[in-house]
Amino acid sequence: MINSTSINKLKTGVPLFIIFLLFGCSNPYKNITKTEFSAENISEIPYSLPKSEKTLIYKTSIGFYQRNISGLLIIKKTDKQNYRIALTTQFGLKIFDFALKEGDLEVVYCIEYLNKNSLISTFEDDFNLLLMQNKFEQIYTFQKDEQKYKGWVFQSGKMNYYYLMSKEKNQIEKIEQRKRNAKKI
Amino acid sequence: MNKIIATLISFFLLLGVIKAQEKNFAKVSDIEKTRTDLEQLTQKISTIKSQFIQEKHLSFLTENIISKGEFYFKNPGFLRWEYTEPFEYLIVFTDKNIFIKDEENISSFDTESNKMFSEINNIMTGTIQGNLFHDSDRFAVEYFENKQQYLLKLVPKMQEMKSMLKSILIFIDKSDLSVAKIKMTESSDDYTSITFINRKLNTTIDHDKFDIHK
Repeated sequence: MINSTSINKLKTGVPLFIIFLLFGCSNPYKNITKTEFSAENISEIPYSLPKSEKTLIYKTSIGFYQRNISGLLIIKKTDKQNYRIALTTQFGLKIFDFALKEGDLEVVYCIEYLNKNSLISTFEDDFNLLLMQNKFEQIYTFQKDEQKYKGWVFQSGKMNYYYLMSKEKNQIEKIEQRKRNAKKI
Repeated sequence: MNKIIATLISFFLLLGVIKAQEKNFAKVSDIEKTRTDLEQLTQKISTIKSQFIQEKHLSFLTENIISKGEFYFKNPGFLRWEYTEPFEYLIVFTDKNIFIKDEENISSFDTESNKMFSEINNIMTGTIQGNLFHDSDRFAVEYFENKQQYLLKLVPKMQEMKSMLKSILIFIDKSDLSVAKIKMTESSDDYTSITFINRKLNTTIDHDKFDIHK
């Protein structure tokens, strides 16, 4: 029943903030030299979250408009490209339970005040970004801020998905989604 | 290490006992007497200090998510839930407010303006103070018992509550009439159970425990 070794509790690097970004026009990725990165090497990107077979538990805070919800975010990979994502309060009450199937988000349960189409589609975008589930045509890799960061950008039509890794910590620190080159939502 | 193993073993034993008990409960024949007993004795509890083990069952997980911590209650309505595992998190209920300390951030809520928190507050204090089962407008209550425990089954009547919770089970030890376990089952059959262990009744609890800034 309890097997703490099989539950990967991520105490470091949390809280994981899913912040719904506002429109912004500055472009820190301008004038950066990019080199092509073969999609076959995608598993070399040191980002364990989409790959882990373990149950991941994050202490999470989600902010939107004026509200803030915090609790435990539970991510379980159920199949190659399928995930279950649930958020519960510290007391255990379930806030939402989503199934993410090849990029499509299915609501298994969601408390009423979050169960709105606009919010659900934002959750879909955010979890696709977080779990690297977006479809892409080409990946490029680049260096940033005097080689402190290494990054990958997934290009899909007009959308660009950025994953930025701190070389010092060897972990992904920033994820962004940009339309052409402006931040989206 | 030995201590950890001993704790784990006793925890499993305890779970075994509880599981067996859930099956062996029979309906209480004299409900009025049980209510009076519960009422009289819960009134005698002025403080509770306890450890708790919270288990969250989600249908898509093979293992339950375990949280642990310490719990303090002081009459009339002061509660302190201090989670230590898997993450540190502190929540304090006072008569009018709820304070949450998450890492170094402190936030507060007015129980009157925050419906969800006010429900949680009602359930927690109501359970411990023993007045929740008088709330016949909001819950349908059934009484069960075995040799060691009373089991109260509360089914919410209000629509809003119903959409979140299917039932609340409250296990009360007959020996000291204190709550041993709470099990909240959601409409999806996922559940949360909170087991109180090492309970100490009516010891002195410093009021600072309910001041989040201290």
